[in-house]
Amino acid sequence: MSVPRARLLALMKAQCQLFSTTYNPEGVRTGNKILRQRLRGPALASYYPRKVMSFRDFQDEFRALELEVEDDDELDRLEHVAALKARGKGTPKKGKDRDKKKK
Amino acid sequence: MSMFRAKKLDLGCFTNIKIIRDHSKRKAYEAAEAERQALRYVIRNTTLPARTRAIAQLQLTQMHCYTRPTQIRNRCILGGKGRGILSDFKMSRYNFRLQALAGNLPGVKKASW
Repeated sequence: MSVPRARLLALMKAQCQLFSTTYNPEGVRTGNKILRQRLRGPALASYYPRKVMSFRDFQDEFRALELEVEDDDELDRLEHVAALKARGKGTPKKGKDRDKKKK
Repeated sequence: MSMFRAKKLDLGCFTNIKIIRDHSKRKAYEAAEAERQALRYVIRNTTLPARTRAIAQLQLTQMHCYTRPTQIRNRCILGGKGRGILSDFKMSRYNFRLQALAGNLPGVKKASW
């Protein structure tokens, strides 16, 4: 009942031609497995959400129409900085003036 | 490495240096992926001469470490944490809990029976 190997190989060859796969009866490692893999880069690179638009861009869009948009967060921050400065807790001065004031 | 970093911050989520670093690595890997796969193919192909394969091995190991996929680690997009991340939600377990309880994650419900 055993089928001769030559006949099996012929079958395999015909199969490979039909389905356009590579005929490799010895099972030699050709590295085709690497070529078959999908590229993972685009999926990995899109993990973190990208910045769509900043508030500055939004303001600039409206500046052309001569409309002003107020950035509440920025105003809050400036107010906080001004309050610190009024209490003398602001950032130190930079540059030449710094030394003069210390003396 | 600063040469891989975007000149202008292009992230819309929580940012700290670890997130920026990881993001740069992801982009570096994406850029170098085709080259890496080509080298990997040459290395695995036993029908090529041994010298070619050895050279390919050297080239692959000498590529910058930022282009390696193993350098990439999923981090929490809300707090930047690197451990205990639920990859389906890209969040650390605690941030996931907070968001889920607040009802910000569609389809997520606290189990009770």
